[in-house]
Amino acid sequence: MIEFVKDPQNTIPSSLVKIIGLGGAGANMLDRVALDGMEGAEMLALNADIRTLSGSVAPERIQLGVNLTKGLGTGGDPDLGQKVMLEAENAVRSSIKGRKIVFLCVGLGGGTGSGGAPILTRIAREEGAFVVIFATMPFAFEGRRRREQAETALNELAVLSNALVVFDNTRMGELVLAKQGIHEAFSAGDRMISDSIKAVIRLVIRPGLIHVGLDELMTALRTTRSRCLFGSGTANGKDRASKALANALSSPLLDKGALLKEAASVLVHICGGEDLTLYEIELLMQKLSKYVPQKAHVLFGAAIDTNMKDALSITLISALPEEKLQASSFEELPGEREAMEPSEGFGFDDMPQPARIVEPPVDEEPAENEIIEAVPPAVVAQQVDGWVNFQEADDHEVDLPFAEPEQSGSGVVFSPQASIAPASFVTDAARDFRDALKPAEPLSEEEDAQAPPAVLGDLLEKTRIRLGQNDMLFEGSSRGKFADNEANLVDGDDLDIPPFMRKKKK
Amino acid sequence: MARARIHVGLEIGTSKVCMVVGEVRSDGSVKILGLGTSKSAGVRRGEISDYANTKECVDDALVKAEEASDVEIGSVFLSVTGSHIVGMNNTGTYRLPENEKQIQPEHLHEAKEIAKDVHISPDHVCLHNILRSYRVDGFEHSSSPVGLFGKTLEVDFHVVAGIGTRIQNSIKCVRELQVDVDDVVFAPIATAQFALDRSTRERGALLIDIGGGTTDYALYLKGAIVASGCIPAGGEHVTNDIHMLTGLPFSRAETLKIKEGDASGDQSRSVGGIKIPVDEKGFSQQEVKRELLNEVIRQRMLEILELVKKRLPPGSVEQIGTGVFLSGGSSLMRGLDELTHQVFRRAIYRAQAAEISGVQANFKDPQFATALGLIRYAQLADVEKQNSSPRGFGRIWPFGKK
Repeated sequence: MIEFVKDPQNTIPSSLVKIIGLGGAGANMLDRVALDGMEGAEMLALNADIRTLSGSVAPERIQLGVNLTKGLGTGGDPDLGQKVMLEAENAVRSSIKGRKIVFLCVGLGGGTGSGGAPILTRIAREEGAFVVIFATMPFAFEGRRRREQAETALNELAVLSNALVVFDNTRMGELVLAKQGIHEAFSAGDRMISDSIKAVIRLVIRPGLIHVGLDELMTALRTTRSRCLFGSGTANGKDRASKALANALSSPLLDKGALLKEAASVLVHICGGEDLTLYEIELLMQKLSKYVPQKAHVLFGAAIDTNMKDALSITLISALPEEKLQASSFEELPGEREAMEPSEGFGFDDMPQPARIVEPPVDEEPAENEIIEAVPPAVVAQQVDGWVNFQEADDHEVDLPFAEPEQSGSGVVFSPQASIAPASFVTDAARDFRDALKPAEPLSEEEDAQAPPAVLGDLLEKTRIRLGQNDMLFEGSSRGKFADNEANLVDGDDLDIPPFMRKKKK
Repeated sequence: MARARIHVGLEIGTSKVCMVVGEVRSDGSVKILGLGTSKSAGVRRGEISDYANTKECVDDALVKAEEASDVEIGSVFLSVTGSHIVGMNNTGTYRLPENEKQIQPEHLHEAKEIAKDVHISPDHVCLHNILRSYRVDGFEHSSSPVGLFGKTLEVDFHVVAGIGTRIQNSIKCVRELQVDVDDVVFAPIATAQFALDRSTRERGALLIDIGGGTTDYALYLKGAIVASGCIPAGGEHVTNDIHMLTGLPFSRAETLKIKEGDASGDQSRSVGGIKIPVDEKGFSQQEVKRELLNEVIRQRMLEILELVKKRLPPGSVEQIGTGVFLSGGSSLMRGLDELTHQVFRRAIYRAQAAEISGVQANFKDPQFATALGLIRYAQLADVEKQNSSPRGFGRIWPFGKK
């Protein structure tokens, strides 16, 4: 007799899913995912730096560059990152073999992450896995080189991967209050990534009553050279449907739902406990329809997960071709498009410092073209002489005021040494510390960049004009609303003119 | 005061006209019966600039207040403000005749007359004469020195004066609505009645009422008023500043100010930008940098506070024992308390009165502080009238005698 196993939800065994953390930042994200309790899914940590690797909570770890870097990191050099990955290709390949879906968490901008990720993605694709990449871009203040390295890697990944979700660290400020500690900012960033991974996994392994699966996911993401729009929200209690939707739309990747307007197809997956009602789903879809264009292909799925209890989660996935992404956020500023690419529809970055310093013309040509040559000579030199280059790389870090705190953000555990390191660095005894420092690199690479700052300067200009904030205002004679009143003189100052302008003139 | 009396306070402000009806009970407690507000039009920097419009607004507030309180309003206490109103201190010195050693009521009266006789320009009229203190041979007495021995008697007065015609216009505006004006009160003095209690004034307190078009202040030291005045800048100016520096229309600038603005100068609150969403009327999306917004607000607020500080008698800020009380709609600005602290280095309070009952929501809002203060003022005036000579509190009705 043939036994009929009743599984209305077509669950995929979670053993077919693998989550990989690559480099220091990747390891931090992976740790976060592990701490959040991802049952079932396999986790693999990859790093050249043996220190961080041994600190990882992932059950499976592969050391990269056993012969090449001998347990040290790649010192922010993507070429080296590429080499160490190739060295470990076989081990990685066998670890990925047979997995249906691979999530790759990586912080771009440094060595291991930027160099290794494209290779790893290729390996995974060759093994027949569906690859979803969660990448972080470096902070604006980390300098142009890191941003360039990150962009180069990102461009490669956009082509190689099935889905690419990019999170710009510069946008991290939106996740937490300005006053909150840096570690909170980082854990918020990691948490967001971890939530995203969970949501995709939920979607894939539990396709549900109304089926959506890998095929739909592919459809939703099927635009070449695209960036993924992603939002996921969970809520419970009264009115959970609209709360969950609001949470999902608040994802920085969606820009409050504004980016969805451009989407050609949107995958919506709703997952709830056993009390999920049809009415809730209807309500939710109705609300969502305001954000999604009418002609868009909506791929809808719903699933019941008893673990959700009384919560309801919604996941929105869509993709936008890169040109559109910029177009939608910077319509008014045509010249700026290419430049903004890295921040991926994140709007302006808000770091004020580098903004004006950098010269604008950087961005005229699409970032895609500037591939590896972009890596400055300094990096090449590093490879030749193992020790010197690390020092250099680290000196770099020291210059950047925020480099250390940042590391500590995503990986609180490792940070103390890292921050001590710059001082003790010069001495031989510092070797150990140097290793400790390594995690720093891949991470701080995520921060980054000049291109956008360059843009920012310009942007400011343009915004000002756009807002009518041009010179006329600074001539000082305008008094706005009080224009037709007599001068409001107190102690020789006309109080109707903004002090902001009067002070400036002095 | 055997029975409850009903008083009405009217404030014609730059941003709103506000009328409060309060019942003063026989035990001295005050209950707010109703409140009528109307958006103000035709008032600039605390003074009426468009008479017809203002009258309509007052009428609207009147109708609302009557409806809310179910009281027919026959007369009101009116608060006035404007940069033309100034407060100054004057001392009257009277030397007792050789053969008299004990101070007699007529001596005191003489001293008071001298003190009140400050030089005010012809177009100004006196709004308040507030007795601050007595001194007998240089020794301070806070209560009447009648019956004491002494040679010279000095009386300190705080005199508030303003341009007569402008004040008359405010009164006319009300009178034309068939409502009588019981008294005209300089706004910060009314607000102080509400916000500062006796012990607070004893220890010294500065009240700053930042309204729409003006900022009024009153300083009390040792229980007596030391300085009062008005600076012709307020919340409306903040909005205007934002409007001019960002190019946003007024309504947007106003919402932005209320929802996002911060005056503290704390850099961590100036991170990022605020997206102003697209609205139905085709207003395209803009982003305003918090840094710019907050700096514009801060500069304005800072200037206002610095101006207040400059107007106070030298050394008086150090004598403030209790602290600085903020009131008025603009005092709701985020971070203003921190900024005020930076300027005055004194404890900062939000003006609140304890002994008023009624609809809680109404008097918790600092926007109504002045109108509520008028009720307190009326109550005190009543008490004065009953238990002392007609000029006991030192107020005179500036127009009645003309």
